[in-house]
Amino acid sequence: MIRVSTLTALGVVLALGACSKPAFPPEQQQGANPQLPAAQQFLFPPMNITTPVGWKDGEAPTVPAGFTITALGTDMKGPRNVVALANGDVLAVEGGGPGGEPVTRPKDLIYGIVKGRAHSPVKAGNRVVLLRDANGDGRAEQQIVLIDNLHSPFGIVQVGDALYVAETDRIMRYAFTPGQTRLTGPGTVLTDLPAGEINHHWTKSLTASPDGTKLYVGIGSNSNIVERGIIAEQDRARIWEVDVATGATRPYATGLRNPNGLTFEPVSGKLWAVINERDELGNNLVPDYMTSVQDGAFYGWPWSYYGDHVDVRVAPRRPDMVAKAIAPDYSLGSHVAPLGLAFNTGASFPARYAGGAFIGEHGSWDRTVPSGYQVAFVPFASGRPAGKVETFVGGFLDADNHTRGRPVGVAFDRTGALLIADDVGNAVWRVSARAAPAAVATPPATTAAQR
Amino acid sequence: MTDQAIQPRVAIAGVSLRALLMPFPIACFTGALLTDITYAQTAVIQWANFSAWLLAFGMLTGGIAFLLGLIDLFLADRYARTAFVWAQLGVSVGVLAVALVNNFVHARDGWTSVVPTGLTLSVVTVLLMILSGVLGQIAVRRAEGGRS
Repeated sequence: MIRVSTLTALGVVLALGACSKPAFPPEQQQGANPQLPAAQQFLFPPMNITTPVGWKDGEAPTVPAGFTITALGTDMKGPRNVVALANGDVLAVEGGGPGGEPVTRPKDLIYGIVKGRAHSPVKAGNRVVLLRDANGDGRAEQQIVLIDNLHSPFGIVQVGDALYVAETDRIMRYAFTPGQTRLTGPGTVLTDLPAGEINHHWTKSLTASPDGTKLYVGIGSNSNIVERGIIAEQDRARIWEVDVATGATRPYATGLRNPNGLTFEPVSGKLWAVINERDELGNNLVPDYMTSVQDGAFYGWPWSYYGDHVDVRVAPRRPDMVAKAIAPDYSLGSHVAPLGLAFNTGASFPARYAGGAFIGEHGSWDRTVPSGYQVAFVPFASGRPAGKVETFVGGFLDADNHTRGRPVGVAFDRTGALLIADDVGNAVWRVSARAAPAAVATPPATTAAQR
Repeated sequence: MTDQAIQPRVAIAGVSLRALLMPFPIACFTGALLTDITYAQTAVIQWANFSAWLLAFGMLTGGIAFLLGLIDLFLADRYARTAFVWAQLGVSVGVLAVALVNNFVHARDGWTSVVPTGLTLSVVTVLLMILSGVLGQIAVRRAEGGRS
């Protein structure tokens, strides 16, 4: 009975722990060697559900001095990803979760209601929209539906005369050349993807190898931490390599809980991704990260995180798997929810941004003090992170923890401007490094005279 | 179960609603202990899911039965409120309090939703239910002794 009362008392202490504020500033969990506090177990996990209010007229995300932000696309239906084409057109993927995740516990009912409050009231379009800004003012005059009736699309990549779109259960290939505003055919299935009835992390991020012969697709786990059973994780929490010619697939890297933002770093030529780590271990666990993805590597999920930090919620224990797990390259901070990643290959931003990583952080729920809700910047040198995380685009969360928007996918367009898909603000934002368009149009002599 | 120390006031045709409800929390909380033990031995997650539903349904029916019992108690003749009746009430509060905490423990994900805290609380819940039952029986006998 002494053991019983001790455990009961422990439960109460752990419950009180839920009230604690984040113990240390986020900077200590950013970079190559994040501090990892001891894991906690809760009666009520830390939670702060932000509710959407959207952008009012004239409101926009904040950008550093010397940059301009415009709404390239507005009044959209849940844009979650963007890709820029060589002719200047931008394709935005409007995708929403497939829904219908089975309720297996009372918790599933309650979480469905509570977490659902954070979503945009606008139903996702589940389509690909072409944005055309012919006059170059940063605002698209035309929004044309290119592909409609998709099944929870997310990933998109254009290679040569093909456009690949990752629906949640398959990769589609469409004949497409930049400049087209209509497809000439219905498209073909390149390969099916793991989906199924649960399909918890449904976003299938997509990129192509630099030579265009392989695609890489992110497949998130079917649970937070195998609470749906280990069998539900068959073919999940990994990145697949897909052969473009045959559609053949193979696991490229595993143990990645929810990989998104797949993209090749141009200097090193390595595949990088941002990963959403596990929840309900505390305000400051487990930090989400970005990493170069090594062929054949195992990154720990579900048995461990950041190498050999064992997750006690997974039974049976697998010391053999923990021993194989490697640590990721760079922590972004706990619960920031990175979903987009783009490297700045353009020349229009100031030199310190050259080659750096821009990360769309959708923002936290499992944290007393919200984190993320920004487009972060991490400087790179020689193809490796070489500095601290900075806020590049902010203002998505207002002072009352309402969301004006939430950033997801990011990309650079042909002019070197940054594009941001905002699935709560229902906009695609464009950040360019120049004075306001009106000032650019003013002849330099006049500008000097006005000074 | 219909032998009550307190005359039921919330009743249908003389049958106490509380007595009709009481088997549900008893079966649910005992069942949750069994499914907890099975999960602890197998690590098959469905057993933990069973526990979570049993605890939730036990909490709901047990909570209603407790409220009905309180109504009966307040409407009862004050001589009927013996020390054993109050003791059973106190233990019943304990059962529901422990079960409530256990519901939240079982809302965790995976192994620690059951082992060790959830399973421990399930054991405590069943032990407290047995104690409550014994106290109830004693209270009934005392009441019958008083009436004869």
